[in-house]
Amino acid sequence: MTAISESAAFKTGETYTPEGKYQFRNSPEGVRRLPFPFPDDDYMYSMNLEPHVPAGNGALRAAFDIDEHYVSECTHRAQMLSDMPGVHYLALPHMLEAQWDLLELIFESYARDFPEHFTLTKNGNEWRWQNRLLGIDDSFTFGDPATLPMDPMEYATRQAQGEFVVLEEKDNTLVIGAGMTTQRADYSLKFNLGMSFFEFHGPVPKLHEMGILDRALKFLLRMKPGHPVRRVNWSLTVNPRLETSVETLPEWAPDRATVNGENAGEKVYLRIELQPLHRLPRSNAIVFPVRTYLVSLAELVEYAPDWAKRIHRALASLDPELVDYKGFHRYHAAAVEWLSRHDDGAPLATGYPWAPEGIQPGGN
Amino acid sequence: MLITGIKSRPVYDELTPMASGLIHLAAGQGSGGKALVRLLRAMTPEQLAATTVLYSTESFTGQNYLIDLQQFKVRDLAVFPTNADAVSGLDAYLATAKMGTRLYLTGSEGFIGTSMQVATSYGMNRDEVLREHAGSFVRRVWCAHCGHYSENVTHRIFVCPGCELNLIVRDHYSGRLAAFQGVKADSEVPGEMPENEELDT
Ligand code: HEM
Repeated sequence: MTAISESAAFKTGETYTPEGKYQFRNSPEGVRRLPFPFPDDDYMYSMNLEPHVPAGNGALRAAFDIDEHYVSECTHRAQMLSDMPGVHYLALPHMLEAQWDLLELIFESYARDFPEHFTLTKNGNEWRWQNRLLGIDDSFTFGDPATLPMDPMEYATRQAQGEFVVLEEKDNTLVIGAGMTTQRADYSLKFNLGMSFFEFHGPVPKLHEMGILDRALKFLLRMKPGHPVRRVNWSLTVNPRLETSVETLPEWAPDRATVNGENAGEKVYLRIELQPLHRLPRSNAIVFPVRTYLVSLAELVEYAPDWAKRIHRALASLDPELVDYKGFHRYHAAAVEWLSRHDDGAPLATGYPWAPEGIQPGGN
Repeated sequence: MLITGIKSRPVYDELTPMASGLIHLAAGQGSGGKALVRLLRAMTPEQLAATTVLYSTESFTGQNYLIDLQQFKVRDLAVFPTNADAVSGLDAYLATAKMGTRLYLTGSEGFIGTSMQVATSYGMNRDEVLREHAGSFVRRVWCAHCGHYSENVTHRIFVCPGCELNLIVRDHYSGRLAAFQGVKADSEVPGEMPENEELDT
């Protein structure tokens, strides 16, 4: 049995939109299993790539993690795709082989890591896919798009948590060829499609100068199938809103002006991104999944008090360029002030929570 | 969100004859005519005889090099009244192009970008194309909110003709869309506008 099926029922009525009144919350176990991204009291970009091997009983146990929000996130994805067709899912024509690669990777991983929810039965190229959480039982021919109701990548990722960007290797760089990105943080898939590694990272401050981009690209180009790597990234979002694309900026940016020292605990969400990268076997493409977790500052204080202290210190000392880039200069001070009331200054462990001796959530 | 100092803007070349080419296609616009003249001067008579020139006389700055271009003994010189016509002309030529064709593009960023879209659609590689920027750096801007393309944008902030939002032009450039990105300038607090400035045109 797995950690998730023992502890958490899957919630079905959650929403990530103002129209749905943001009906979203985490269970205590849901918070304590998060891939908390602050190993130190100070935060700065780094070459934080490590082998993606199972670690602990939380979000890093499976190749592709699912949690209590799985069903509502799939519903949200379907809603976003129908609200804005051609904006959140795009694939260049020559990416079809990589799409099948990705479908296989997701389905095999889910079936292996969560056999109580998913079953993949292969008879040559005749495949049967059972997803009991969404009530799906489909048969199709692997490699034959006519046997699926939509692109293989769209079909698979509509049933997956997190977003997926697929890149092809060309001229010694990685070029974005397809994406399912209904939860993207402040960029445009349509605009970024066809861009190379240095181009789509163009807006990020410091990365280039620190030499991180060069080293990261060299590292990724050497990746082999079966040896995934992962990194974590984070930002802040006002309200539990998953869809924060550049396209809809006018809808969600005004929320940034609504935060104050009183409501920051409820309003401000830490947005954790777990990014496990894989080389795909047939197409030689690379998939960059972004599994996004939302947790309010108040939930951290309540269920993971040591993590709340850590994020207080990391935010208080954060480089102003990163504050600007991540888009929270307007409420940075309010969030730090609110968190300061929950930090007694006690020393905290260093290292990611899934590392030996790393920082644990605290409390109990 | 970063507005200036983004590193995705294309880096341009200087047009010189590509020795590996069997057929040469040189497309230019407005003040790009000057770079075409320099390119043709550097060619051997054999290269000239294998060269087709496409020239659009549309110009933001009023530069016209047609008379100079007519002095060269090229295979063909096709003249177009607008940049859009020249890009369609390029499309038609590439549709019949053979292996060994080399492409030279020069003019505004918008002209080079839209011509590159056509070249890419025919599978031309970056090492088969040279691009030289000429004239002003007026920008082609894609509105992230309504998808409208605005040509010849000269200021950091302008009103989108598609959705009438105040857009701020980011230095972020997409080769596939051949455009810079425009996003709502006063998105956090409506009416609170950043300072406008002339773009580095
Ligand atoms: C090949 C897969 C990758 C893709 C598709 C990707 C894509 C992106 C995108 C679209 C952004 C947002 C840029 C914007 O503001 O417009 C971003 C940000 C960033 N990327 Fe990547 N990235 C990849 C791999 C990496 C790797 C391997 C590293 C480092 C080792 C890295 C480090 C970063 C950092 C530090 C940021 C800024 C994040 C923040 O401050 O919130 N990326 N990436």
